[in-house]
Amino acid sequence: MIDRACAGDVAAYETLVRRYQDVALRTAHLVAPEADAADAAQDAFIKAHAALPRFRRGAPFRPWLLRIVANEARNRRRSADRRAGLALRVSVAGPADDVAPSPESAVIASETRGLLLAALGNLRGEEREVIGARYFLGLSEAETAEALAIPAGTVKSRTARALGHLRVTLGATDGGRTDG
Amino acid sequence: MADQPRRSWSDAALEDGLRGLADAIEWPTAGPTAAGGPDLAAVVRGRIEAAGPYAPARRRWSWRPARRALVVAVAVLLAFAALAGAAGLGLPGLRLIFGPAPVSPPPSLEPSRSPARGSPARGAPGASMGLGTRVELGDLDARADFPVSLPADPALGQPDAAYVDPTRGGQVTLVWAARPGLPDTLEPGVGLVLTAFRGAVGDAFFTKVIGMDTTVRPVRVDGRRAYWLSGDPHFLFYDGPDGFVTDSRRWVGDALIWADGPITYRLETSLGADRAVEIATSMP
Repeated sequence: MIDRACAGDVAAYETLVRRYQDVALRTAHLVAPEADAADAAQDAFIKAHAALPRFRRGAPFRPWLLRIVANEARNRRRSADRRAGLALRVSVAGPADDVAPSPESAVIASETRGLLLAALGNLRGEEREVIGARYFLGLSEAETAEALAIPAGTVKSRTARALGHLRVTLGATDGGRTDG
Repeated sequence: MADQPRRSWSDAALEDGLRGLADAIEWPTAGPTAAGGPDLAAVVRGRIEAAGPYAPARRRWSWRPARRALVVAVAVLLAFAALAGAAGLGLPGLRLIFGPAPVSPPPSLEPSRSPARGSPARGAPGASMGLGTRVELGDLDARADFPVSLPADPALGQPDAAYVDPTRGGQVTLVWAARPGLPDTLEPGVGLVLTAFRGAVGDAFFTKVIGMDTTVRPVRVDGRRAYWLSGDPHFLFYDGPDGFVTDSRRWVGDALIWADGPITYRLETSLGADRAVEIATSMP
């Protein structure tokens, strides 16, 4: 499909867009939560199409595409709202695969999500991006490195540092308790 | 709720919590939506078909064979250099890759417009270097998409020419003409070249392909980490705000490279590292 798209087959490229549009939108939303993710993703897909002749055949397409998406989203973040912070929202209902949680566990799960989201909001932008890429988008370390344009070693160290910061924030939120 | 027992935050618990959070986040959707939102893929296809397939890329790759061959050769060198081993030197957004020297110092990539060696270019300094569109210094802030800092070094004075290149991510280049006290670089008539391009920490990806005979010396510019590159020619690749940029212009002198916030600077001069650092430090 990628070869066909590179050869100028617009229908093939449309298929690629459909295949990757969800992860592209999520990436744009992670990088620039206050910007319009759909606009950023749309422009990124246009730029990616123009850049197809420079795509290295045989290389992973997804991280290459996501790098363009992330760049596009960052440009919009710069121009739209430099202090946006984290504007991710979680649904009240929780994950769709929750199987009839008890009222108590539903409350705990909801509270946990709230704590995590608040803690994420205290991270630096570059740490949030790595956490988002690894745990929200499910990218591998190598894919994260490619998508965020940073060395693989930086992904590893930045992830560890971000998790540490999250633990500190969550620990403070819990009143310093480390029970369990 | 505050009385509820809290879970501990071991590595595994934290990672599980984050993965679970991903499922609960209200992500934007691609449509078409019940509310009438656009179908992203269809919109993208429509825009591509309206613009014509690959129009920008075809223009970019319709270079003369010699120029195209040179870029291909650089790409091969890039791959070879990656195999030879990469060394990240830690400048934000900058990755230096050591590899074999280019086959030969490349000629100007604008051969038909390049002056003969030893013969200063006609017109504004740097006019033959393919630096983009020349703009008046007073219009620079309006034409560039980021604030452009100028060196305040009194011995240097104001640049003699300024250029903006939208095909290289809005790269801005300032050129000072050679004169007593500001010797020629490898480009006759050009005494100093200062290039600025956007690249925030962790944002952009710059790769220099440099020869084994290129010397890289860590220095400091106003306390910031910087590198002084001297010796063999090098090339520059980076991801600019509009995508991947091949800055295939050959260098015209030894280069000082540093970053200030989202902007990365390259100063090329024959004045040496110490003087280059002085000039760079004079920038606000």
